[in-house]
Amino acid sequence: MFHWLEKHPFFFAVAVFVTIAFAGLIEILPNFAEASRPVIGTKPYSTLELAGRHVYIKNSCNACHSQLVRPFKSETDRYGHYSLSGEYAYDRPFLWGSKRTGPDLMRVGNYRTTDWHENHMKDPSGVVPGSIMPAYTWMFKNTADIDTAYAEQITVNKVFNTPYNQELPMADGTKATVKMAATLDEAHADALAEAKVIAADMKDQDVKDAVEAGQIPEIVALIAYLNSLK
Amino acid sequence: MENRPLEYDYTVAKMFMLTTVLLGIVGMLVGVILAWEMAFPAVNTIAGSGLAEYTNFSRLRPLHTDAVIFGFTLSGIWSTWYYVGQRVLKVSMAESKFLMFLGKLHFGLYLLVVVSVVVSLLLGVTTSKEYAEFEWPIDIAVVVVWVTWGMSIFGLIGIRREKSLYISIWYYIATFLGIAMLYLFNNMEIPTFFASGGIGAWYHSVSMYSGTNDALVQWWYGHNAVAFGFTVPIVAMIYYFLPKESGQAVYSYKLSLLAFWGLMFVYLWAGGHHLIYSTVPDWMQTMGSVFSVVLILPSWGSAINMLLTMKGEWQQVAASPLIKFMILASTFYMFSTLEGPIQAIKSVNALAHFTDWIVGHVHDGVLGWVAFMIMASLFHMAPRVFKREIYSKSLMNTQFWIQTLGVVLYFTSMWIAGITQGMMWRAHDEFGNLAYSFIDTVAVLHPYFTIRAVGGTLYFLGMFLFAFNMYKTMTSSRRVEESELQNASPMGA
Amino acid sequence: MNIGTIQAYAYFFFVAFLVIVLYSYIYHLYSSQRKGKRDYEKYSNIALNDDITDQPVEDISKND
Repeated sequence: MFHWLEKHPFFFAVAVFVTIAFAGLIEILPNFAEASRPVIGTKPYSTLELAGRHVYIKNSCNACHSQLVRPFKSETDRYGHYSLSGEYAYDRPFLWGSKRTGPDLMRVGNYRTTDWHENHMKDPSGVVPGSIMPAYTWMFKNTADIDTAYAEQITVNKVFNTPYNQELPMADGTKATVKMAATLDEAHADALAEAKVIAADMKDQDVKDAVEAGQIPEIVALIAYLNSLK
Repeated sequence: MENRPLEYDYTVAKMFMLTTVLLGIVGMLVGVILAWEMAFPAVNTIAGSGLAEYTNFSRLRPLHTDAVIFGFTLSGIWSTWYYVGQRVLKVSMAESKFLMFLGKLHFGLYLLVVVSVVVSLLLGVTTSKEYAEFEWPIDIAVVVVWVTWGMSIFGLIGIRREKSLYISIWYYIATFLGIAMLYLFNNMEIPTFFASGGIGAWYHSVSMYSGTNDALVQWWYGHNAVAFGFTVPIVAMIYYFLPKESGQAVYSYKLSLLAFWGLMFVYLWAGGHHLIYSTVPDWMQTMGSVFSVVLILPSWGSAINMLLTMKGEWQQVAASPLIKFMILASTFYMFSTLEGPIQAIKSVNALAHFTDWIVGHVHDGVLGWVAFMIMASLFHMAPRVFKREIYSKSLMNTQFWIQTLGVVLYFTSMWIAGITQGMMWRAHDEFGNLAYSFIDTVAVLHPYFTIRAVGGTLYFLGMFLFAFNMYKTMTSSRRVEESELQNASPMGA
Repeated sequence: MNIGTIQAYAYFFFVAFLVIVLYSYIYHLYSSQRKGKRDYEKYSNIALNDDITDQPVEDISKND
């Protein structure tokens, strides 16, 4: 049976392919429609938050921080409600991570503030003695890439119908709308308005000056993203 | 020239040998830096705070995994393919100008991809998906490289003299097909530059899948990239190099047949074990867990077959460092294919997931099994492709013991670190409150991180001995006759 | 009978089927080797005698 295949490379390759593709078909396909339905209260990311998410990815924060609270008492005590599939509906890519060198960040927006993040990103062990996290000083200097974030918003809106500019139901019964700008200039203006709110809570003078001058440093975008994780 | 007898042509094999050694050193160097950074965070700014962005743990981490997987291991796979492929099919690359061209093209394109990966990862251009960090332009280049290799495999098979495909060839074909399928599906992404009509960075893309689905596809890929990058092709190597070096026929060809098809059928199901207690459906988690345990059988089938191949010839293990490398590799293979399923059991996974125990598991597999087997293969190939004896046997022995010590330090420290941290995360006091804050669980790991860094450094040192031995073999070792190359490789003192 | 029950039965019979296939294949391999119908083990020599001048274990031109 199988031995015959070894003399017929073409059929051998076909047989191997069928054998290995089988598992994927059964395991992966059935879940696709099911899992992508957002739960109540899940919103797509704003332009600035998305730019911050890109900063998070650029620096591989996910190499040390998970975004997945497992359903154990020890985890819900520490990080909040366990994760639900629908909460990730707008996460492209997912950022669950595979290693917790640092704590989970799934709901970090619930218990950390802008100025905590500012101090911590500048000098982690100054805020948390004994921390082995390195400082991310360059985020205070580099400028966030709003263009690419806006391009991603357009893409997910167009291709995956991610609901921008639509009323979405929130957990408390209210409605919320996440705006996607009509033009690139408008996107910049919106992101800057959001950035100003965050910069107002920050102490770093260079960051404040940059935002005043219309620039958005990476740290501001990153904090916007981290604050949105709830 | 005209009347020269036909010989195997190892030009391409030699090229990939070079990148195996070089990228092995690069990948492990980055790994060692990372290990010291975790033990002593000051190392993060070792090149000054101006360059900290590029020497930082998080920026370097994908570079380490990708350099070892797609640099060192893949080069090793290809250099052995261009060696073993010809020999067991009994056809020389010199017989086909086209295949020769394809082989060189394969190497050239591969180099381009390597350079662009290094540059882009250092700049932070990444999709964040583990072992699939490359953005779409590199993904396309990877596909081209892969197709080139596929053409080379099936081209060589097409002109073979040996009717039956040897065991190793099955595994190489499976590597080719498996990675092709997985890579394509996991890297489905949409370039935002084009979809948005020319806004933003041209290389940026967004994943076709979101959230839980993305995780499912990613770990179906991630787990099986390990399967078809770290297991299947390495098994291909040991099925050829161990019998050849020891002069013993494979213990049971029938067992190899069963183990192969068993592995093919079972491996792909086990990806779900990366997602236990996550938001993917329960039945998938259970399936991943169950199949991971079943996976012990075909894995051990191959490993036991290898150990039994040495039946009655165990004195060779003492006599030849090359055999030592291979026997230790298959022992580590058994060890990590037992450890993996244990970690995939739900209750164990609840403790082990997200901890250093997983890191330890990966490294006893890769350092003990993959890298040992690749280095043994290259040692076996060196006298045959350079027509010189291996420069130094004692250096090989030294390397063997240094690296073995390194691996042992590595995985023991990571076991303790992982289990300690996992236990501390879940510990409650008598009132039901968490017993430790997160930073307590980090501080306690410091000694283990230090031991791990020492272990990694030892292994890295061994890698230099390997590179030096290979270099001397290539340039200044004693020349050998064809007749000395039948089985056991000739070695200088 | 709900879908879960059907899945459970399907699962059981599928596993039983695979087990039977596996063991009968093993039986087939070993019995045909013992009865001398086919020699599987000779293929191991593909690796051992792999010089380009060595005789192939089975020449490509021969039909089986």
